[in-house]
Amino acid sequence: MGALQNLFVNLALFFRESMVNIGFSQLGIEATMDLVAGIGVLAVIAISALVLIYVERKVAGFIQVRLGPNRVGPKGTCQTVADALKLVGKEDIIPDRVDKVPFMIAPILFFAPAVLAFAIIPFGENMIPIDMNIGIFYFIAVCSLSTIPIIMAGWSSNNKYSLLGAMRSLAQSLSYEIPLVFSILGVVMITGSLQMSDIVAAQSDMWFIVTQPIAFLIYLIAGAAETNRPPFDLPEGESELVAGYMTEYSGMRWALFFLAEYAHLFIVSAMATTLFLGGWHGPILPSYIWFLLKTGFMIFILIWVRWTFPRIRIDQLLSLGWKFLLPLSLLNILITGVVLYII
Amino acid sequence: MKEVVDQGIKTQEIEVNFGPHHPSTHGVFRMVLTLDGENVRKVNPHVGYLHRGIEKLAEKRTYAQCVPFTDRLDYICSMTNNLAYVQTVEQLLDLEVPTRAEYIRVIVSELQRIINHCVFWATFGNDLGSQTALMYGFRDREMILDVFEELTGSRMTYSYMRIGGVAKDISDEQLKEIERIVDYMLDEALPEYHNLITGNEIFQARTKDIGILKPETAIDYGVTGPNLRASGVEYDVRKDQSYGIYDKFDFDVPTRDKGDTYSRYIVRLEEIEQSCLIIKQALNMIPEGKVQVKRVPKRPPDGSTYSSIESPKGELGFYLVSDGSKRPYRFRVRPPTFIHLMALEEMMIGEKVADAIVILGSIDIVLGEVDR
Amino acid sequence: MGLEAISFLVLAIITLSSALALVLSRNIVHSALFLILSFVGVAGLYLLMQANFLAAVQILVYGGAIAIILVFGVMLTQREDMSSTNLFNKQKGLALLVASVLLMVISRVIWLTKWGSITTIKTTVHNIATVMLQQYVLPFEIVAILLLVAMIGAIVLAKKVEKAS
Repeated sequence: MGALQNLFVNLALFFRESMVNIGFSQLGIEATMDLVAGIGVLAVIAISALVLIYVERKVAGFIQVRLGPNRVGPKGTCQTVADALKLVGKEDIIPDRVDKVPFMIAPILFFAPAVLAFAIIPFGENMIPIDMNIGIFYFIAVCSLSTIPIIMAGWSSNNKYSLLGAMRSLAQSLSYEIPLVFSILGVVMITGSLQMSDIVAAQSDMWFIVTQPIAFLIYLIAGAAETNRPPFDLPEGESELVAGYMTEYSGMRWALFFLAEYAHLFIVSAMATTLFLGGWHGPILPSYIWFLLKTGFMIFILIWVRWTFPRIRIDQLLSLGWKFLLPLSLLNILITGVVLYII
Repeated sequence: MKEVVDQGIKTQEIEVNFGPHHPSTHGVFRMVLTLDGENVRKVNPHVGYLHRGIEKLAEKRTYAQCVPFTDRLDYICSMTNNLAYVQTVEQLLDLEVPTRAEYIRVIVSELQRIINHCVFWATFGNDLGSQTALMYGFRDREMILDVFEELTGSRMTYSYMRIGGVAKDISDEQLKEIERIVDYMLDEALPEYHNLITGNEIFQARTKDIGILKPETAIDYGVTGPNLRASGVEYDVRKDQSYGIYDKFDFDVPTRDKGDTYSRYIVRLEEIEQSCLIIKQALNMIPEGKVQVKRVPKRPPDGSTYSSIESPKGELGFYLVSDGSKRPYRFRVRPPTFIHLMALEEMMIGEKVADAIVILGSIDIVLGEVDR
Repeated sequence: MGLEAISFLVLAIITLSSALALVLSRNIVHSALFLILSFVGVAGLYLLMQANFLAAVQILVYGGAIAIILVFGVMLTQREDMSSTNLFNKQKGLALLVASVLLMVISRVIWLTKWGSITTIKTTVHNIATVMLQQYVLPFEIVAILLLVAMIGAIVLAKKVEKAS
């Protein structure tokens, strides 16, 4: 068991030592290790997106009493790969009157914050790509950047539906970012640190879901809204807006939006695990397995909600955010502060 | 575009076109909405995209040949269309129908009502963004369709009712299967529907107090069926004009007072329950015997007649004029949903544009019947 | 040349060139997008100085919030031809004057500052908290109240519009 516990940490150490033996310079070793970590993160994103799409479709099939993908590969496991290959092979259509450069780079930029956010996720014991001292704040800052590509895509498409979809998505992201941040603040107040490793370490005895149940619920709702998942999928799901800001996209550029959405789903779930469900803490099994299990559970809840809830209306969405979640999260901060002061 | 000046703030009304190709218009319906911001100011329904001239075509066919046309009116519930038509012809001919055939007619038309309300529930859920509802509703509809397929040889266009009876006798195994389905609907499907959609906070927030239709307005427009009963008027052709053998059964007419989309929704689900109870009674009471009269006169006497039934969507009536020949001189349908569409404006004005789709879904239209 | 110097050069080039492109671009939406790039470049420079909290604030507030409000406003003015929405005018003389005064002020500040070597600080967060919430608590609270007043004002204005319509 001990070997498995620190499998990836030991692997990294082994790489480092062998490079020293070969005679790499210090700079070379650091650069190579960063490169390896970067490739690792990209691999995790790609694999998790592929797996998540399959899981989502299978779970949706289960909920809707149908089979889900079952033709390509054993039990349909290769369906997503086949879909991705098809999308890669599609013509890259750039409509005539779009604003070309923003139109072309918007999907790539939409993917970038998702990749950046992976840098601070503690996948297991001593398995944080970069454990910076402002970890959680970095996460919030990076996530706030993901709205810009959406307006770039919506505006440059030169299409009413795209622009309206982008506007809605923007209004939604802006109004739900605030309760999201405030719900995280409760956890930060208890821990007294923004560092991800400290937050996980503080939960070795008790998970924050016990001490911060309201914050957890606010985080879950706001997180679903941030990732534009149903019941908050108004920017693209509302049939009156066709596909929102993605309307004019096709082929691999569309697929990038799609993949990034699943990367966001993974990040929101991983952060929920880290902040409220004790991160990688857990008995017997290796830490990274525990992390993946908890994250998988969170993802399952979000999928479950998606396939059983009707869609909310835009004015109800905004009033829920501003009139309910925001005061509630402020109240949560107040109570947390008072309790911390007394203790 | 008209400019609206209201207390110094200048806004512009815009016209938005919904349909005819739109996932939420249930077919090829088109409406032009005049919007002031998010609020609906004017509704202009455009119909006729599915017009096939059925009423005119029927004038060139014999009475018996007209039955398949009625399948294609409201294609969700062909059985009740068949029934309304053959009942009118029988009234014209002054024909008695064998008792067993009457019972079979009640059983299949109540099953048809269940199918229709399942489809309503499914598509209404889909309009609100809950795709799972669509799957569940169609799953339950499929079981009844299987029974119908075995009985009539067709899944949608049955032409099962004939002038003077029904096309084929129903077997005991089929009756057993129907009993099983009815029990399943009552014990499993309906509680599931309520669990999945009715109790949901978001669903209630999106349907309650939206698209209110006042009882007086509803009566003025001639709205019938569940839409009228949701406004608090207890009018059901099965009770009030008691055609066929409906006076032998004991059932309630569910009503609600508010007249909003939620009432229209809940009334329909309660009707499924009542239909199940009617079928259960009919299954216990059904006698042995013939299902078709021996000889049906081909030429009805001179004259005209109107007769209507409670179709799942409302009062479906046929008006037939006979000139003594083999063919109807005039074949006129009173389609309930055409009339409901006219009342759409009353429900939509002043509501948000996102609710327009919900209101349209709640009145349960089928374009085959509207355009004929 | 060390890694740090290379990074500095790259970031400085990004910041300056996007700032230049912001001024020279004739499409106002492109200008707004270049502005965001410029903000992000400055955040990178902060990171290079190990002021990571400040860098995150820069991205969150300038890149995430202010720029979005800007782009939001700009995009609402969409028109058929965007190629000439950010034109030059004839006030070059005045602009030169303002720019040179600004340059003088900044140069003077640079001249007067006593530059020391950076001592590695482990966490900037705690230091910023001490400065803001102990040393300068009064200005901090005044700014907070100012923002609150602005927020209430905005709500009151929005409410009025709602009533009228």
